[in-house]
Amino acid sequence: MSLAADPSTRPSRRRRLPTGVRAKLFAYALVAPVVLLIIGLVAYPFFFAIYVSFTDQVVGSVGKFIGFANFVYLSKSATFTAAIWNTVIIVLVSDGLKLLIGLGLALLVHQAIPGRGIFRSFLMLPWAMPAFVAFLTWRVLYQPIGGGINLVLTGTGIYPHVVDWLGQRQTAMGSVIAASVWRGFPFWFISILAALQSVPKDLYEAAHIDGANAWKRFWVVTVPGIRQVVIVTTLLSSIWTANGFEHVWLLTAGGPSDATMVFPVLAYFGMQTQRVGEAAAVSVAMLPILAILVIFATSLMMRDED
Amino acid sequence: MNDKPISAARGWTRRRVLGTAASSLAIAAVGSFPMPAIAQSKKLTYWGGLIFSDDANKLLTDTINAWGAANGVATEVVMINQNETVQKVSAAVSSNTMPDALDLGLDLLLLLSRQDQFITLDDLYKKIGDAQGGWFEGTDRATDTTADAGGRTGIPFGVNGNLLLRRKDLLEPAGFTDAPKTWDELVAQAVAVNKSPVSGLGLALSNVGDANVQVNVLQSYGGRIADDAGKKVTIKSEETRTYLTWLKDAWDKGIFPPGNTTWDGAGDNQAYLSGQAAFIANTGSVGIAAKKDDPELYDGSAFSPLPAGPKGTISPITPQTRAITKNSGAQDEAKALLEHLAQPEFMNAYFNVAIYGPVLKNQEQLSAFDGTNPILAGLLNLAKAGTAPAYPDVYNAAWADLSSNFIIPKMCQRVVVDGWDFDKAMDEAQTQGQIIYDKY
Repeated sequence: MSLAADPSTRPSRRRRLPTGVRAKLFAYALVAPVVLLIIGLVAYPFFFAIYVSFTDQVVGSVGKFIGFANFVYLSKSATFTAAIWNTVIIVLVSDGLKLLIGLGLALLVHQAIPGRGIFRSFLMLPWAMPAFVAFLTWRVLYQPIGGGINLVLTGTGIYPHVVDWLGQRQTAMGSVIAASVWRGFPFWFISILAALQSVPKDLYEAAHIDGANAWKRFWVVTVPGIRQVVIVTTLLSSIWTANGFEHVWLLTAGGPSDATMVFPVLAYFGMQTQRVGEAAAVSVAMLPILAILVIFATSLMMRDED
Repeated sequence: MNDKPISAARGWTRRRVLGTAASSLAIAAVGSFPMPAIAQSKKLTYWGGLIFSDDANKLLTDTINAWGAANGVATEVVMINQNETVQKVSAAVSSNTMPDALDLGLDLLLLLSRQDQFITLDDLYKKIGDAQGGWFEGTDRATDTTADAGGRTGIPFGVNGNLLLRRKDLLEPAGFTDAPKTWDELVAQAVAVNKSPVSGLGLALSNVGDANVQVNVLQSYGGRIADDAGKKVTIKSEETRTYLTWLKDAWDKGIFPPGNTTWDGAGDNQAYLSGQAAFIANTGSVGIAAKKDDPELYDGSAFSPLPAGPKGTISPITPQTRAITKNSGAQDEAKALLEHLAQPEFMNAYFNVAIYGPVLKNQEQLSAFDGTNPILAGLLNLAKAGTAPAYPDVYNAAWADLSSNFIIPKMCQRVVVDGWDFDKAMDEAQTQGQIIYDKY
């Protein structure tokens, strides 16, 4: 076989890249579709929403840039002010309660009690139930006439009067938080339970030998062992709660008298008025609150790592 | 064993990498765009407004599809929940995927007309009107978009508005055989039958459209949202104070159902249908539901116009319209369809199962409005005598924005939920209202 007849033996006229560069390019090519998807599905909508919040866009128009006018308008709105405080209150109180209930139940089920497998599954039911169904059920339970809670209270004589749980300022927020906690605590429960199971038993035995009682063992072994998981769970749950729409919309729609108005519901009302720019501004206005939360949680986790 | 990196083994070059990336981009780009218009020619997509009556929704869908089959036009009817029309249209406008024609309310028609989304239909409007005795005056004035769009963009097909629905089976034994003529009479009648589990007055005071009937009550007491120019908010006034006095007095009598300050859009419907409210103000959908599911309740109910205040009755009509989009590739077909949908045969059948009053004068002669159906009789009366949207205020974008922000229902909530005094509640409503009006 002559050299000219075998193309593989001919010196290539194409300039080949060094092997390392080619490997890198190949890697980039592999991840490129995912990067494009993230840009298209996450980054673009995110930054577009921020841009829209600085425009006077209404349904059917692209709108023009108006600077901070939407935010100035919102700052004058009593409903917006109410939404800020209500969102903070709902996040702090409901996630605090979810932590307490989730932790308590996880500690209980972590013990060798009879039927704990069934108990664990049972505790996950609220989380498994579609939010729409769950909160509509709560709405029925809260009904002043014929609602389950009032029937129990009046039937047992605990409280003889019918309570309009969702219709009065004194009870509306508490009612929304109760339903939100009921639906959300299983996530905390299962996360903390998983963390508890990863804490080495040796540590408990060592602490026990050193004379630590149950309370001491909880603080020096359990809490450090589940701390990272609790921080991550707090972060996720807080974001979900702050962004949560169904629990408020289905129970009170933000009322009465803005007593339960939160950012997502306010943004939805903004869309109802067909003013897309203002609705986007409401959503964007929530970002600093969430950013503070994320930074706080991240710094806690980094401090643990250090 | 081959120790070469994969890229080297398969001959990855700069050219190949760039080529692969370009191909990926091209595939992604092509996949994200809609099909070319040529592939969709002569297909007509119609977004119908989903209403409470399944029969009406089915009739509209079947009629459009039958028309398409008879005229060689492929039709696709998508029924859109009217509560979601704004969101759907918003997304469709942004993505340039609006249907060929759609049903929509007056607010959205005006807004999108200003954005040049629809074609003008003056000829079709005149043709339909001339063929059927002309349009009712209120409908004609309310749907004129000429100032915003250079012509009429909507073909009205029905009006609705609030009727007063009452439990005559409870009221007549209490000595009230006639419908209340004034808001004070309404409270007196409601008090007479207010006995648990029935609440006398099932009016919503929450952040829903139904609660905006309070604007009509306020106006019937002489209160106004803004001045005649539609610019300066005038909520705080002695007339509004008189209205709030009426409201607070009624509230203190305990005739409102518990929970009405957080009702959703179906709150008053459910209260009436479950026998927990003696009066509600509703478009008639509740009557249809009662007729179908609870004939006894329906027989025990009566319909009448909204009561009057010291300044008369404010009972606005809300026209529903059909429009054709500017980007439609089947505008002629869509016009023909809209003309077909205005024919008396279809409209008579539609009125019988829907919740709309007539828009054309000849429609008064349709059997649907012969008086045997009390809901339709009430809607006919509304179509003929109802007030224009926002009257005596000016119907403009600021008005629509203020209504959508529920400024008046929120003022009511401040009084009855938070216990604010009238001045404080009016001050807040005045300030919030003016902030909205200042945007326009």
